[in-house]
Amino acid sequence: MTINLIQENTQESIWEDNKTILSVQNVSKKFCRSLKRAYIYGLKDITSQLLGKSRKSNCLRKDEFWALSDINLQLKRGESVGLIGVNGSGKTTLMRIIAGILKPDNGSIKVKGRLASLSVLGAGFNPILSGRENVYINMAILGLSKQEIDKNFQNVLDFAEIWDAIDAPVRTYSSGMKARLGFACAIYTNPDIMLIDEVLAVGDFSFRQKCYRKLSELRQNGVSFVLVSHAASAILSTCNSAIYLHKGKVVMTGKAKLVIKRYEEDLAVNKGKKITVNPGQMAFPEKLKNKNLDTKLQIITISLRDSKGNLIERLTTGKGAYICVECECYTPLKDASLNLIIRSISEQNNCCLWLKSCNDMGFIDINPGCFVFKMKLPYCGLITGVYSIKLNLSHNGTYYTILDAVESFKFQVDGIDNMSQCSYYQPRSWEFESR
Amino acid sequence: MPNKLFKKNKPEIIYTVESEIRHPWRLLGEMLGDVIASRELAWRLLVRNIKAQYRQSFLGIFWALIPPALTAIGCTFASNAGIINIGNTDIPYPAYVMLGTTLWQTFLDAFNGPGIAFKSSRSLLTQIKFPHEAIIISQLGQTFFNLLVKLIFVVLIFLVFQVPVSWMIIFSPFTFLSLILLGTAIGLLLIPITNLIKDVANSLQVVILVWFFITPVAFPVPNEGIMSIMVKLNPVTPLLVTARELVTTGEISYSVAFVLVSLLSLLMLLIGWLVFRLSMPFLIERVS
Repeated sequence: MTINLIQENTQESIWEDNKTILSVQNVSKKFCRSLKRAYIYGLKDITSQLLGKSRKSNCLRKDEFWALSDINLQLKRGESVGLIGVNGSGKTTLMRIIAGILKPDNGSIKVKGRLASLSVLGAGFNPILSGRENVYINMAILGLSKQEIDKNFQNVLDFAEIWDAIDAPVRTYSSGMKARLGFACAIYTNPDIMLIDEVLAVGDFSFRQKCYRKLSELRQNGVSFVLVSHAASAILSTCNSAIYLHKGKVVMTGKAKLVIKRYEEDLAVNKGKKITVNPGQMAFPEKLKNKNLDTKLQIITISLRDSKGNLIERLTTGKGAYICVECECYTPLKDASLNLIIRSISEQNNCCLWLKSCNDMGFIDINPGCFVFKMKLPYCGLITGVYSIKLNLSHNGTYYTILDAVESFKFQVDGIDNMSQCSYYQPRSWEFESR
Repeated sequence: MPNKLFKKNKPEIIYTVESEIRHPWRLLGEMLGDVIASRELAWRLLVRNIKAQYRQSFLGIFWALIPPALTAIGCTFASNAGIINIGNTDIPYPAYVMLGTTLWQTFLDAFNGPGIAFKSSRSLLTQIKFPHEAIIISQLGQTFFNLLVKLIFVVLIFLVFQVPVSWMIIFSPFTFLSLILLGTAIGLLLIPITNLIKDVANSLQVVILVWFFITPVAFPVPNEGIMSIMVKLNPVTPLLVTARELVTTGEISYSVAFVLVSLLSLLMLLIGWLVFRLSMPFLIERVS
């Protein structure tokens, strides 16, 4: 993966810009892998803080690593930015630094206005106390005075839809009710910036819809969002720009759509580790040499071809293609079938397709000689990612005697635009008629 | 949306690497500002803690009384059986012990307060940014509340034993305050060490036990021997003895030491507050 650090404008003028409400400049943060060392470093750092000395935080000590390095981010009023990256890329750490919970080890953060964090709903809820008491405590923690809470209390109740249960202990609430109440509390603190960390995975469908509606209402009112997610859809629907983090470094910043595309491509290919893809063709010449008397059939090559029959390296979503299996047969075979399983390596080895030629065209008989099995794909329905084909040739019909098999033929599928929220490609056409 | 209400006064927060202590005046201003900002939250947390504490128990408030009462009963038995030899006390022994343990317990409450506050608010601290002073102030409130509850029982015991009190009792709140200040100050100073090095937290149990024995809780200040020196070097001694004397006889024997320790407590509290404030981000990072 190439890392092209995009240096943002770091001039002082940004600070004086009235519209900028969040400015993160060259922020770095390091963590320690060893627990004991972390404690000792903690004591040392506290001591140097107390003595007003520099704690030389820009260099690493033993067992330390950069959880974030050199992050820049400017947010103007009403704009939203998404942070995307795989687990452990530093998204949450950055959020916590912006929220002021962690202290940066380098750089500075400037926040103008009230900041609300939707990272944990209902922080500080005490299960023994009633919902009403907890609303007051939670909103006080979020920084509201009693008058402000009084003013918003009814709104909170209406949004959370907990009217009659508000005086019951929070312990008796369902997890959905708790989440609703927590969300309502955070929303009605009237923030200028909202930090949202994978939070909308809670609650039932209708509540999530309500949250999204509320969030877009807030956006229209000029509230800025910083959204953390590894789901592209949430970021695409909410944010203008996005930052793609990997191992604490910025891989790419820019328009949300472009960043997401890059992220998904990387995700498909890498998923943290390197996968070598077979370049569109796989041949097994050594098999011919190891041939013995029992061998009835052998697979010689597997290849990807376009609709004109030319070899191609990758499939493309929505385009026609052939998957070709070339075999050599030595004895006449009855009731043969080609069976293949396609799994998505990018998506936890999920099985995408499980196909048998006999299901589509019945069993076939094979005579000795060379032949090619062609599976025609009028449209490639697979989305961006790396896939693996496992295939075999069988005969004896339903008794299923395997003649030859290939464990794994890996290939890549290139995506096309506007597919990031789809799970497969649907061939389609649109019509519009007025009546 | 009543959103516009809050748009007028925009607080501006800056987080940097630099130690805040480099700008002492600004830091002091921020500290005072946070105390003012956190008083409402502190009050809510205090009410929450007390409610939650008593809503779950049937004996409720009596739990505040049980430790000092047991100590008093135990010491009285030991004294009557001649197991421990106690000099003459000015007032009936059970009342003496009850008052002494109440004062010691209050000091201990204050001493443990910051640690308890930090532990019980751990999840909150790692999730939300709010003035951290709130948890300390709320815990202080809890200490005061516990003291009040215990004092009710002390008054009852005094009535039962018909112990005469001095008019100087009106000054005793200052001594209670000093005890709480000293305890809180030491507690705050220890917060980084006890939370980063478990060994220190464990050894504190032993330290407190020894400390209890060299504090004249259940006995008057001895006049000779090593014990006498140790008791007199103990900073809690002048505070506790003065408190007891103000309530009972009205004759103060450690006036200079009392004033000195009180002033020292104030200074230590300020330093402790600084330590607490500056170490919080580092502690939060390591407990989350």
